[in-house]
Amino acid sequence: MREKIVSYFLSILFIGVLFMTVSCKKEAPGKLSFETLPLEGNPLVSFRILVKVGSANDPADKEGLTQLTFSMLANGGSEKMSLREIKKIFYPMATSVRLRVDKEMSVFTATVHIDNLEKFYNVFKDMLLDPGFREEDFIRLKTNQLNFLERTLVSNMDEQFGKEILNLMMYEGHPYGHNEAGTVENLKTLTLDDVKNFYKENFLRGNITIGIGGGYPSDFPLKIKEDFSVLPKGRTPALSLPEQRMPEGLEVVIAEKKTPATAISMGFPISISKADEDFFPLWIACSHFGEHRQSLSHLYQKIREERGQNYGDYAYIEHFIQGRDKFPATNYCRQQQYFSIWIRPLTNSNRHFVLRQAIREVKKLVEEGISEERFKLAQEYLINYTKLYIQTISERVGWKMDSSYYGYKDFLVEAQRKLPKITIEDVNRVIKNYLNFDNLYIAIITEDAESLKDALVANMPSPITYTNPNMPEEILEEDLIIQTLPLEVQPEKVKTAPASVFFKKLGLPQSY
Amino acid sequence: MNRFIAIALFLSFVLFTSSVILSSDIFPYKYKIEELGNGFKVISIPLDNPNIISYYTIVRSGSRNEIEPGKSGFAHFFEHMMFKGTKNIPRPVYDDFLTQLGAGTNGYTTDDYTCYFVVFAGRENLESVVKTEADRFINLYYDEEMIKTEASVIEGEYYSSVSNPSRRLFELLRDTAFEKHSYKHTTLGYLEDIKDMPNQYKYSQLYKKRFYAPDNCILLVVGDFDHAQLMEYVETYYSGWERSNYKLMTPEEPLQTEAKRAHYDWPSKSLARLAIGFHGPAYSDENVDKPALDLLAQIAFSDASSLYQKLVIEEQKCLTLRPNFADRRDPYLLIFNSIVKKDKDLSYVEEEIFRELERLKNELVSEDILEDVKSNFKYSFANELGTTDGIAGALAFYINLATEPGTINKLFHLYERVTPQDIQDVAKKYFKETNSTVVTLTGGNSK
Repeated sequence: MREKIVSYFLSILFIGVLFMTVSCKKEAPGKLSFETLPLEGNPLVSFRILVKVGSANDPADKEGLTQLTFSMLANGGSEKMSLREIKKIFYPMATSVRLRVDKEMSVFTATVHIDNLEKFYNVFKDMLLDPGFREEDFIRLKTNQLNFLERTLVSNMDEQFGKEILNLMMYEGHPYGHNEAGTVENLKTLTLDDVKNFYKENFLRGNITIGIGGGYPSDFPLKIKEDFSVLPKGRTPALSLPEQRMPEGLEVVIAEKKTPATAISMGFPISISKADEDFFPLWIACSHFGEHRQSLSHLYQKIREERGQNYGDYAYIEHFIQGRDKFPATNYCRQQQYFSIWIRPLTNSNRHFVLRQAIREVKKLVEEGISEERFKLAQEYLINYTKLYIQTISERVGWKMDSSYYGYKDFLVEAQRKLPKITIEDVNRVIKNYLNFDNLYIAIITEDAESLKDALVANMPSPITYTNPNMPEEILEEDLIIQTLPLEVQPEKVKTAPASVFFKKLGLPQSY
Repeated sequence: MNRFIAIALFLSFVLFTSSVILSSDIFPYKYKIEELGNGFKVISIPLDNPNIISYYTIVRSGSRNEIEPGKSGFAHFFEHMMFKGTKNIPRPVYDDFLTQLGAGTNGYTTDDYTCYFVVFAGRENLESVVKTEADRFINLYYDEEMIKTEASVIEGEYYSSVSNPSRRLFELLRDTAFEKHSYKHTTLGYLEDIKDMPNQYKYSQLYKKRFYAPDNCILLVVGDFDHAQLMEYVETYYSGWERSNYKLMTPEEPLQTEAKRAHYDWPSKSLARLAIGFHGPAYSDENVDKPALDLLAQIAFSDASSLYQKLVIEEQKCLTLRPNFADRRDPYLLIFNSIVKKDKDLSYVEEEIFRELERLKNELVSEDILEDVKSNFKYSFANELGTTDGIAGALAFYINLATEPGTINKLFHLYERVTPQDIQDVAKKYFKETNSTVVTLTGGNSK
């Protein structure tokens, strides 16, 4: 039969997902909130149950507890039914419950046909409100989570590995500073009682927003409200996040493993989010500089199209997870955001050159700004492309929730209103205000880490090699500049460690 | 009410009520098929869903067409070259056009076909999209230097998933299971062939002439447009495209006569992987074998199955267990995949899969379970049709296989007719040990 679009190995990813702290504006704090999207006559119903608790809420020394606890709801049995019984009921409906955990939020999602709504909901509600917390489910899910940290992340997915190292660097000592799956050392110590207690203390009415869209009966939200009233009132205290730590110069971490290709992620915290006016001009700048998986991306043009170095090169001004197609997934809101560049794997021999090239491009962006032509192109692109963001019911509910989080009635409508009014002066102002090129966290996964460290510290020339012997003259001329571009890399700011030691304990590996 | 009819009725109300046919067909949308004089087929599905148009060009050429030695991965490589522009509309102009349109656009290559899509808002933009897309299919231009640079991008794409052991296992399975047929290699191709792509300018021209021709391509347009208007544009801009008349002869795979086995040592720590493949039939909407096998796969190996419950949930030997019986134009593989938590359990999991297949040969599956799977198929398909682009994406796959959307209804009618006896018959016919290939991967001694 037709293959599913989702690769089968995706099912083992515990990559964080996220959620938004949907504000409880429709009810008083401590009570259940709703985001509803009634679509009369539509045969589908989509749920997004958002919980304002994420990995940043993991108790000290219990990193990974949020994900393990919520996995027990989504991927374990309820008090009434074992997981097997649940799967047998869901299977003919072709539905399932999915969980995503990010730093500040977690979300349970499902879509079901209206014919099956009642039968599905009765099982779904018990999974969330009356979980079984069986020992066998606990052992299975904890083992899976450990396997992800110990084997999959460090060994089987270098692009994600690079992004996770960047996270460790940016948020050392910060509640965001560990993977959603936790740390190997502390995950091993978690008990079923920890899970039960965490659920009891955090699965509270005030933490939860019920997102529902589609052709559900008009009284259905009331029924949900009644059912969820079994949960205790209250909410988890708001996270108190410390100030984000900017890198001091170029801070580099190199994870070493045997590999033919080098993965690079780099970035730094920024002080704005969708909630800020300056987000909109910076969004245009970022779209020009590195629109996700689009040829509009300037980095993509310089590194991939002109030089054929890798599969793509992109930049982001907030935490980005790809959803349907290449569009941003919803419910990944965070109070604190970061700027990042994603260099997809490239042959090891050109790693130093491409690192120099990417940093040089940020420098040029900051120093020279964006051209009138590129500004207009990126502006028009965003105005039109964002019209495609919302296609499924679940996406529509998700964007409603994100809008609430950032204080909008409808963020995408607001974007349609604001983007056309942005001027090139706005864009060049925010580029200078929020971006920089000499204070960067740089995460690299490669082999022979020491030689790269030596080359970086010594600012050794890094000529690029091409398979095409007849590269255009103007590119070769630019290459001469790039290959000797001085980067101020202090030896004490470059740390190397074997890939296998990451995520064992909190923070970056100490065995440098 | 019969569950099948209920779902068909449900589909008929999905979003676009004016475009549907109220019948027991699983695919409910009205479609029109027209063919230009040069053999270019156009399938259109106008919908009331406002604003969005999905414009898909399906080239019936994929890695299956790479029949010559040293040319593996070429279909995918050529997909990249298709974004290089023309003399009329050079690459930067093409990019700027799509950028200003805010279009979602890309291409992808599979075993059997290569697909290019432009998803955009606004029917007023239809003509410019038709004109631009027609231009690049007819007048694509690139020189030897461009092909050399793009070849290294392909190498980069290869590297972007080089750390994924599942990809390596899949390559090993196909390479081991097939002797002659071009399904022996994957879409990305062998690394040595990728490294030789910079030298393949001349072959790329031959490839274009053979396969990028109107008699090997189908245009699928779904969304907010008028059919007559679409055809006017298509005739204007595509009529000058010349036929190829090339007939591809894929090598016939000889009958496998003994069990095969291969192993890969992964260089770093990894959970163990197991894949078992059996040679199976090609896609068909007339013969019951493939539909019966699709149902069998789910009955015995889905996450609602007894074996999944045993190996994944109860004994916790496996992280995943799933079947993949992909539809292909030529006979392909029936594959069982598993990620196994400990190396030492690989042989046990393999035995359990073979034991389950033996059981299917000896026992009839229950009618209730069979009905559950049929229900799952229909709701799964229905869920894909929730958006304009979902319809286009789902259709593109079937149009590649059978050149027209009606195949979907024929297929689902076949699913309806499959009986427990059919399931047993195909189990006996295909799951013979001599027809099997087992590949394993281990890394890091995860005892």
